Amino acid sequence: MKSKKLSENIIRTFKSNGFVLSEPDVLLDSDYIIERSGEKFRSSMLTFDREDGKTMCLRPDLTVASCINFLQKKSYSKIYYSGQAYRRSGNKSMDFINDQLGIEILGSKNQIQDDFKVISTILSSAKNIKRKKILIKVGDIGLFKSLINALDMPERWKLRLIRHFWRPNYFEELLKRLEKNTDIDSVTFDADKKRFYEMKKIDQDKLVAGRSISEILKRFDKKIKDPRSFVDGKKIVKIIKSFLKINCKLPELDDRLLDFAKKNNLKKNIFKDFKSILNLKKLNQDINFIANFGRDVEYYTGIVFEVFSGKKEIARGGRYDDLLKSLGAKKNTPAVGAAINLKNI
Amino acid sequence: MKDLITIGLPSKGRLKDKAISFFNNRGHKILQSEKERNYFGTIKNEPYIKIIFLHAKEIIQRLGDGTLDMGVSGLDLLKESDKNLQNKINVQKKLDFGNANLIVAVPDDWIDVQTIADLEEVSFDIRSKRNSRLRVATKYPNLTNDFLISKGVTQYKLIPSLGATETYPFIGSSEIITDITSTGKTLTDNNLRILKDGLILSSNACLFIAKKKAAKLQPFLKSFGR
Repeated sequence: MKSKKLSENIIRTFKSNGFVLSEPDVLLDSDYIIERSGEKFRSSMLTFDREDGKTMCLRPDLTVASCINFLQKKSYSKIYYSGQAYRRSGNKSMDFINDQLGIEILGSKNQIQDDFKVISTILSSAKNIKRKKILIKVGDIGLFKSLINALDMPERWKLRLIRHFWRPNYFEELLKRLEKNTDIDSVTFDADKKRFYEMKKIDQDKLVAGRSISEILKRFDKKIKDPRSFVDGKKIVKIIKSFLKINCKLPELDDRLLDFAKKNNLKKNIFKDFKSILNLKKLNQDINFIANFGRDVEYYTGIVFEVFSGKKEIARGGRYDDLLKSLGAKKNTPAVGAAINLKNI
Repeated sequence: MKDLITIGLPSKGRLKDKAISFFNNRGHKILQSEKERNYFGTIKNEPYIKIIFLHAKEIIQRLGDGTLDMGVSGLDLLKESDKNLQNKINVQKKLDFGNANLIVAVPDDWIDVQTIADLEEVSFDIRSKRNSRLRVATKYPNLTNDFLISKGVTQYKLIPSLGATETYPFIGSSEIITDITSTGKTLTDNNLRILKDGLILSSNACLFIAKKKAAKLQPFLKSFGR
């Protein structure tokens, strides 16, 4: 099928499932994107300076552009997009222009239902064009979080591991540090303690480089009280590693998780929030659960999935509950979405 | 006739003086113009050598574009420059002056922040509580980016600075800074403190050569040793 016909075919499936076209702006405020995506993103954006000094960029990604469009109240909440995104990469063979085609449910009120809607819509558009050996791989960042929160270790270590789950290399480094029990800031606080008592006497609302005295003292106090080192680092790393090895067919997942909890002396009910994944049984489709999955995109918070036809990945998506808030939404605005990889079809 | 060799030396301060004595001590007596502010010089009895006094940063640029064959500048300035430029320049010799460290510094009163791990936590705190990023003022955006990201600090934004970076945290322009320091006095005097593991780069003056000119420079370079 030619690519235009192919897109039309996919869009027809999107529409018949109730998704409405969103046409986000091509030019976006560059600072706004950096504010959200971080400095690392700067080098991949195509930017230019406007006469008034403002730096603009071509939209680097249609999910982000659609979210911005939604926040400016220019679109419905259940949308599809079809268009180009523009990005530079260190890899010379990569194109600047990427055709993107996808769906999003922004402001998703019913998690289980909306996760299912997105995956089933993507699946049926995939099936419309490629029938060959379709396989879905799923993971769930939420499950990893549940595991970490159930383990017995200092709070700051938990937060650290959760924050860096999506950066596998750095995460490995963290595990090594955890294993050796060397928290790099196991330093003495004596000198600072003196200052601590001095600072307690001054105006607690005073700001030092944007942070109030009370905020600084509170964190200092918490740091002293939080255990510097603990004996079970090795054991905990072993548990985390064995969790990340879980890879099974969806119908076996329940048993595998129970088995995992039992083997590691964890409570049976620590993984309670994965109904979204179990619900996928309804799709009547080959589905693999992989714990070590969806770790390359920072913004995913829940279910993550990829659709394969044979060995080729033809679509991917997931739940991203914090993205809209970080883009400036006034209240929590959960969302879930997916995009078709046209190049592989 | 020998090919003309063009050498760039720092135009100001201690770095200029030390670079000149480095050449003098190795038997290449540098002669400066009698006009005090002239930017050109020569070497006694070596008429095929031309000296140009330039800003240290400019020396790296000119080595890259082929204007200079050789030059003295800081390692920090080379490492901060674009990858393309770096690929065109070799470090011929590390020199024993111009020592300075590029470091991460925070306000002294941030007593809860002693290490990069602390900084990483605080940056996430700022992000989740205020939905803004920790601002890092710097003259070295590239080195700062690479360092922070390799240490797991991702929730920050760079604020480019041209000078007096030490003031930024106290005038509301940034929260923390990275800067080059040799004695640390400017930092201390401005109520800033270096993080315990906040060393980004240990720099010193170097003798650089343009890779393309390596062959032609060989005879001359012998007098400097490795």
